[in-house]
Amino acid sequence: MTGTRRARPLLGTLVEIAIEDDLPSADSVQLIDRAFATVARVQALMSFHNPLSELSRINREAWLRTVSVSDETWQVLTAAQQLSEASDGLFDITVAPALERAGFLPRHADHLPASSHGGWRDVELLPGQQVRLARRVRLDLGGIAKGFAVDQAIAQLRDAGVVSGSVNAGGDLRVLGNPTHTLHLRHPSLPTQLLPVSTTHAAAATSAGYFQHRQWAGRLCCPIVHPGTRLLCDARRSVTVFADQCLIADALTKILYADPERGSRVLEQFQARAVMLEPVTHSGECHVFDSAAA
Amino acid sequence: MNDDFRKWWAVPAIIIPAMVPAAIAAPAFAAQYLTQEQAQQALFPEASRFVDQPLRLTPEQASAVEKYARVRMRGAEQPVWRVEASGRHLGWFVLDEVYGKHEFITYAVALDASGAVLGVEILDYRETHGGEVRQAAWRAQFTGKRYGDGLRLGEEIKNISGATLSCKHISEGVRRVLALHQVALK
Repeated sequence: MTGTRRARPLLGTLVEIAIEDDLPSADSVQLIDRAFATVARVQALMSFHNPLSELSRINREAWLRTVSVSDETWQVLTAAQQLSEASDGLFDITVAPALERAGFLPRHADHLPASSHGGWRDVELLPGQQVRLARRVRLDLGGIAKGFAVDQAIAQLRDAGVVSGSVNAGGDLRVLGNPTHTLHLRHPSLPTQLLPVSTTHAAAATSAGYFQHRQWAGRLCCPIVHPGTRLLCDARRSVTVFADQCLIADALTKILYADPERGSRVLEQFQARAVMLEPVTHSGECHVFDSAAA
Repeated sequence: MNDDFRKWWAVPAIIIPAMVPAAIAAPAFAAQYLTQEQAQQALFPEASRFVDQPLRLTPEQASAVEKYARVRMRGAEQPVWRVEASGRHLGWFVLDEVYGKHEFITYAVALDASGAVLGVEILDYRETHGGEVRQAAWRAQFTGKRYGDGLRLGEEIKNISGATLSCKHISEGVRRVLALHQVALK
């Protein structure tokens, strides 16, 4: 294979960046370095774990006073709001407390208890890139920031003149060039087995419980919260969404995972496609549902 | 129930049957990212010399590392390079491996002279545990079907959508490398 491909641990997963152009390898290495730096910047701004991130500052202070945020965080919060509106609240970034309770996110000592009535409408985006929380809600951008980081890294490669390449952040990925490409989806209960799917969408993201589930309240759960019930979803199936932007694909997987029925109605307005894999029995049988086949 | 969705559910879903043992071997997902030399260059672009200094721990040092890192020491020798730029000590390049339930990863950690992490690069990633044979069987189900279109066995797998491992094993590995520095490279 021509080109250069590297991987680093970032965003709590392995991030792989590839350039397939026929460039001197030193140039590719340098371009990939810069793309990794972009991903690292998104992580530094939007990490829930890092108490110094911009997101942590919002969670600590924005219910007391407005907080100014960077262009990147602003873009993600704006997109999150649009997705919440489009899905009538099936996408909601105020689910952090439920994830903390189940141990998917750390508890920060300086966080006060969150309001139990809050929701995405309590995140106010004010002129001048300022954020205010109308209630003491706590935000987690885990459902969207990874996709955004992928989009940013791809934009960086494209602006640098790269024609063909890809960025894959633990399954949230986007390709540059390659109008039709083959992706492999993991079998939800046998994750080293792969299902090839051909697509013309540049980006894809998958939500599944296979490497991340936890036993919680007597059920095997994955780190996705149903915004209506504030309960964690089952870890059984996997949902992959194909879209033009990775941020959109990433966020739509959360919507489809939480509520496949209502979620499927949201796909169309984003020209997206969803493929759900659901194991039927312990024998390894698996159902494939594809919105493009409907 | 919403019509669109009923349509979706009404699609006869492709049912992937339980696997049958197959003798055909297709490669599991594997990626070779960097050779050791390329990783050295990527992590220390300004270096002029990498001095091979494999580390052999005494039993006391090994148990000190385990205690500090809360991870078991594997193997007696750790590949380590002392990194120099025109005689100046820049830091250390440490090669390491981690094994997960499904994967095997070779990676390198760059430490500066004081032992702070400068960067981590993956050299080699392989998914294992009999995946080769099982995967061939699973993929064979799609031959001639919609999902299998364009698929050839042995086709290179470039992009997998679906989380890889959580990076827990690599974080543990880096913690162990930091402990190694503390115990034997300081």
